[in-house]
Amino acid sequence: MRAPFSLALPSKGRLMEDAIELFSAAGMPISKLGDDRGYRGIIAGMNDVEVTFLSATEIAYRLREGSIDMGITGEDLLREHIPDLQERAEISARLGFGGADVVCAVPECWIDVSTMSDLDEVSMHFYETHQRRLRVATKYVNVTRGFFADCGVRGYRIVESLGATEGAPAAGAAEIIVDITSTGDTLRANHLRILDDGLVLRSEAVLARSRLALDDTDRLHISDLILDGLRDTI
Amino acid sequence: MSGKATDLRAALDAQADTILGLFADSGYEYIEPEILQPADIFLDRSGEDIRTRTYVFTDPAGAELCLRPDLTVPTCRYHVEHGQTGPGTVRYSYSGPAFRFQPGGHDELRPREFDQIGIEYFGAEDSETAEAEVISLAVEAVRRAGLDGFQVKIGDLGLFNRLLDGIDMPERWRKRLRHDFWRPQAFHETLARLSEDPAARVDRELDFMGGALSDRVDETAATLDQLLTLRAIPLVGGRSVQDIAERICEKAADRSAPPLPQQTARLIQDYISVTGRPRDALHRIMNLIVAAELDLSTSLAAFARRITLMQDSGIAVDSCRFLSEFGRNLEYYTGFVFQIEYDTPAGPMPIAGGGRYDTLLSDIGADRPTPAVGCAIHTERLLAAVNGDY
Repeated sequence: MRAPFSLALPSKGRLMEDAIELFSAAGMPISKLGDDRGYRGIIAGMNDVEVTFLSATEIAYRLREGSIDMGITGEDLLREHIPDLQERAEISARLGFGGADVVCAVPECWIDVSTMSDLDEVSMHFYETHQRRLRVATKYVNVTRGFFADCGVRGYRIVESLGATEGAPAAGAAEIIVDITSTGDTLRANHLRILDDGLVLRSEAVLARSRLALDDTDRLHISDLILDGLRDTI
Repeated sequence: MSGKATDLRAALDAQADTILGLFADSGYEYIEPEILQPADIFLDRSGEDIRTRTYVFTDPAGAELCLRPDLTVPTCRYHVEHGQTGPGTVRYSYSGPAFRFQPGGHDELRPREFDQIGIEYFGAEDSETAEAEVISLAVEAVRRAGLDGFQVKIGDLGLFNRLLDGIDMPERWRKRLRHDFWRPQAFHETLARLSEDPAARVDRELDFMGGALSDRVDETAATLDQLLTLRAIPLVGGRSVQDIAERICEKAADRSAPPLPQQTARLIQDYISVTGRPRDALHRIMNLIVAAELDLSTSLAAFARRITLMQDSGIAVDSCRFLSEFGRNLEYYTGFVFQIEYDTPAGPMPIAGGGRYDTLLSDIGADRPTPAVGCAIHTERLLAAVNGDY
């Protein structure tokens, strides 16, 4: 028996609420199965679609693997976890919520550093005085590498951070960070400043289809129905 | 690929015996550096290409390790840790696996795990003689393995550095140009920017310091220190107030420095574009230098002597190609560099490469500056070229 069409939605927070609200505003209300904390659901009127609630990162992984047909997640996570995004999945719609920027920020006290080119120069000097490279704390390892290479900054190394990245410079775990921010308040509170050309990626919630849906006529058809249903609401 | 077939393994072993025999006869001591290496040395010393392609992992005790992406750094570590850092010369040879991630997918010609055979020659005071020895051994090794019809490409990063030293400009600009040398696009952009009027730039520190810029680092540091305290900005990120003040002063000095004259920018461009037979290239460079009234006689004499020594050791110098822009993308090279290439339908394939790296040994802990020159051969590619598999 073929697996049912699977649509994955974020399992918590604003992203989940906004996603559920989107479907319900489009006249395709989602009801969770079991009690309130259930991780499965159905769309009214679309019995062949199985809805699962997963973490946004997990949704990006599953889209990469092609083990779900469709999912809502952050564009930042897709770009980070699917380096060959064009081969693996398609961003079918940008949803207008969950907006945030991935940015490169330096300590506020580095008043001589405004641009990525300044950063490159400081990295050379830093290497001469400390015999090691500038450390960049981030959970966006691949995105950061690509951005730094495009800007021609090479004197750095990445320290993978799994949370509270903005605290890394004060804790002495890294000198600078690449992190996601919506208002910049957290960065300012931690005495960090975004570089003038330090916008790495403008991210928002997106609806994406995996190869599983794109390569199969029936599945493609179901995903088109969902997209059409949402089109007027997005 | 789940492993090499027996006959391929046997062919590679036979090839290795031939090459290692040559190196042993030439006085190179065979060593086996570790495959597992501390990751930070590679991540800190190598260029972008190697860094992003190194397999890095954390062991159960939390140490950050890597599978060695080449054997040069492991050989340097071996040398430093075995305490042989006194005066005198040391010659090492090695043979063993190296590992590099292949972003476009790995196959037989772009393997992620491959055998490198190479030599490293430390402590030689006569640079050109050591360089000629290493390149001629590399060429002879490839020949004995059965390859002909290969090309030899040479370059000289030392000459480029001396050229910059000879031109009047702030030291900071020199650093910038050296730093960008590895990326042609950035280099040309930097050169263009330095030869434009710098007065138009607006920098954040001018605002922050309220225009109170001094050309003295100690005064700037004192002002900066006060301002940071006053505004409750913590000093984090590993740079001292002194470090930041120094750079503020350097940038201020830049703003008042005259731009690089157009003819100087053109000289650098002209130098960078010199290619051709080594002797012709030498003449071309000499003409440029003389026209610009610079003195690079020591470096040029070394260049000429190296060519003669290479000729004497059996290299057909007139069929080599010199490219002043050729610097390899491993950033630890400091002087003479070379590459042996073989033409394939997909373009020239590097078979072996090497050069001088005079700062690496002291960077990783040798107790004195130790000149070093070496080379490594990509054995799978060499065998494929010999067998006509391209």
